[in-house]
Amino acid sequence: MRPDTLDAPEDDLVSRLQQGDAAAYREAVRLYTPGMLAVARFYLDPASAEDMVQDTWLTVISAIQTFEGRASLKTWLHQIVANRAKNRIRDRHREVALDTDDPLDPALAERFGDNRRWSVPPSARSSDSAQALLENNVLSDCLDKHLGQLPEHQRSALMLYEAHQHRAEDVCNLLDVSAANLRVLLHRARQRIFLMVEGFQETGEC
Amino acid sequence: MLMCKDLAVIASDYIDGELGTGGKLSVRMHLMMCRHCRTFIGQLKQSTVLMAAHSSQQAPADYIARLDEEIHRALTQGIGSNQGDY
Repeated sequence: MRPDTLDAPEDDLVSRLQQGDAAAYREAVRLYTPGMLAVARFYLDPASAEDMVQDTWLTVISAIQTFEGRASLKTWLHQIVANRAKNRIRDRHREVALDTDDPLDPALAERFGDNRRWSVPPSARSSDSAQALLENNVLSDCLDKHLGQLPEHQRSALMLYEAHQHRAEDVCNLLDVSAANLRVLLHRARQRIFLMVEGFQETGEC
Repeated sequence: MLMCKDLAVIASDYIDGELGTGGKLSVRMHLMMCRHCRTFIGQLKQSTVLMAAHSSQQAPADYIARLDEEIHRALTQGIGSNQGDY
């Protein structure tokens, strides 16, 4: 279960933000900006997303006084960005076009034969734990590179769900997608990471 | 009967516990018989753990520095933007 309530350290951070503590802002900016960018980039091009997140932080300086803690600070900040981005694309009469038709990545789909069994099965690789894999700096860099190459929609969904530990219903709300579409976005992104790690372990190259 | 490709389609649903009892049972029966799919599920699960652990995806340093600067300026001028909805 992923909680969405204010914990003690966050409560303290909110108090300091409400007092206009500059150090608290520096801390909050580092904690929450990556997730805010993930939300904004779902809707907007990267440059517009950065501008919107900057504007949001400036709004937060006064808006934080009205923060009541009904959701976590993270969710509150992400929600502000989502609302602004949705308004922006509505004003421009644009829609977010999602590629959620096929739950299988094409590179994985072609590894099954007509009998729907594996024709190119996953290579049995070392049983290193995820933590051991992450301690491999080259793999870690490779992961960064491939995350950067994921389609923006998949990356936003993955970041918010896996890295920022939002609940699925919150991600659906932030990104304005159905639960079914979120499942496809997550599954497609995980397959890309699976294929990347498999390739890396086979060849040692990114 | 659930085949390997069908399992690959619903693998994330299985990992996240989103399948109903019937779906879960079909996957488990298939996994008992198919080592390739056991490998696939294990590695896909590992990919999700890698992602969760790799949460350090940071915003660019120069961008963070710009935010620090803008916020500092707004704080010292005693203003926050009231523009827009939130």
